[in-house]
Amino acid sequence: MAVNSLTLIAVTAIYIAVMFYLGWLGYKKTKTSEDYMVAGREAHPVIIALSYGATFISTSAIVGFGGQAANLGMGLIWLTVLNIGLGILLAFVVFGKKTREIGQRLKAVTFPDLLGKIYQSQFMQVVTGLVIIVGMPLYTAAVLIGGAQFIRETISISYSTSLIGFALIVAIYVIFGGLIAVMYTDAVQGAIMLVGMTILLVATYLLLGGVNTANSSLTAMAPLVPENLAKGGMTGWTTMPVFGSSIWLTMITTLVLGVGIGVLAQPQLVVRFMTAKNSKSLNRAVLIGGPFILMMTGVAFTVGALTNVYFYQTLGKIAIQVAPGGNVDTIIPIFINQALPEWFVVLFMITLLAAAMSTLSSLFHTMGTALICDLWGRGRQCALSMRANQIGVLIMIIASVIIAFLMPGSIIAIATAMFMGLCASAFLPVFAVAVYAKKPDVTAAKASLITGAVVWFIWALFINTRYASVYGLCKALTGKASLLGLPWAAIDPLVIALPLSAAVVIILQIYADRRNGQAVSPVPAA
Amino acid sequence: MLGINDPWILLGYGLSIGLALACVLYGLLNWNIGGDS
Repeated sequence: MAVNSLTLIAVTAIYIAVMFYLGWLGYKKTKTSEDYMVAGREAHPVIIALSYGATFISTSAIVGFGGQAANLGMGLIWLTVLNIGLGILLAFVVFGKKTREIGQRLKAVTFPDLLGKIYQSQFMQVVTGLVIIVGMPLYTAAVLIGGAQFIRETISISYSTSLIGFALIVAIYVIFGGLIAVMYTDAVQGAIMLVGMTILLVATYLLLGGVNTANSSLTAMAPLVPENLAKGGMTGWTTMPVFGSSIWLTMITTLVLGVGIGVLAQPQLVVRFMTAKNSKSLNRAVLIGGPFILMMTGVAFTVGALTNVYFYQTLGKIAIQVAPGGNVDTIIPIFINQALPEWFVVLFMITLLAAAMSTLSSLFHTMGTALICDLWGRGRQCALSMRANQIGVLIMIIASVIIAFLMPGSIIAIATAMFMGLCASAFLPVFAVAVYAKKPDVTAAKASLITGAVVWFIWALFINTRYASVYGLCKALTGKASLLGLPWAAIDPLVIALPLSAAVVIILQIYADRRNGQAVSPVPAA
Repeated sequence: MLGINDPWILLGYGLSIGLALACVLYGLLNWNIGGDS
């Protein structure tokens, strides 16, 4: 069912008008480049929490990972465990407070700028900026695709129009309003998402006869698991795959660990900590952040799996059989459009627009500032060139739209996991040492950053079958899908690259600490 | 329980809800702590 009514047009117009108004407020409040880059370091805790959560959760989480849950089942709930435990509690309590404190002291305005200043190394700033410029457009394109697919499905316009129009609306308020506009719009979008996802959960269970009946129906569908998935280790939609099987490895290493750990070192999220006035703001933000993430990913994964019950009861098919070309990214949009009343389709479209726009705006802002402040300006011109940063944002928006047109189907969750895995492998150990070591060692940091990024890319290009198929380089050069067989080909690059980059930084940092300790206070000879 | 038999799935749901509640508790207990700017 394509919704095409005056209500839809009116609601969408009001929503976009509100976003532009908030963008305008951000524009009016942006006086200095520090306002543009880190919202003047005076953001309200509620705005920090909703902005962090709304940026964290995109269409990737709802449409992409919801679709993966429809295909692979409720085991994805373990990603919610990591999202809250690591993405909120550990991120805010352990990393957030120190990041805010150091960022304020060093007057850092971007994530690469923060690392560059802590390590007193232009190399660290430039390479971190480079990883963002190379890796983030993939994730941004995935978010764009998720939003554009739902808009196309809902209002029956062409994919190209939907994708370009969508990017254009976000571009306007990000370019002019900077991070203040991004965070204001994020906060309202976060509130809309909370309402939309709550109704989605309740409506789905009501539609399927209540919690017990719906879950039991899904459990009873285990014999319907497609043969190829059953061979890969899938046992049903309310059970975990067989331990160590290829589906278990993909679910746990790529989807759960890749995204769950990756979120800790996301440049666009780390910047949120630097917008807080004090630690109290971050403590208060935790209160909202945890339940918010539960209601986003927990609902998406549950409803995603339950779509199988709906499609089986109404069409006699499981979810993946309803998706055109087996594209899992289309399952949630089709379910919403077919199963739920028109008023909810409109509300959910706004929810999804909000999810996509809140993430996109932050990604655009982070990429643009990385391009101008960290690569072109290498820190020196960050404070002088707000206009240059605006141009940087525009360039990266255009690049992301082009990549979105080039990417294949069923890509949303994979592209998201790829970027998050890359961030964790390259940045997490370096970031952890930067905020916690007494004297962070720049050689250790350089070696770790390069190890994490290089190992991740090699594994993604030549070993992991899913990622290698996206790039196509391994097939083109060797004629094989992967240079190694199972189980290696199913293991996410993060599982190999992160321990290596962590080991490198730990060993070299300990060595540097000992060397410095000896230099400062040599042990007297007996 | 609730139509789901696999203890790993139930544990996942239990931990998700438990951690969300822990966030609420942390926020309330530290509501006025860390006021330095």
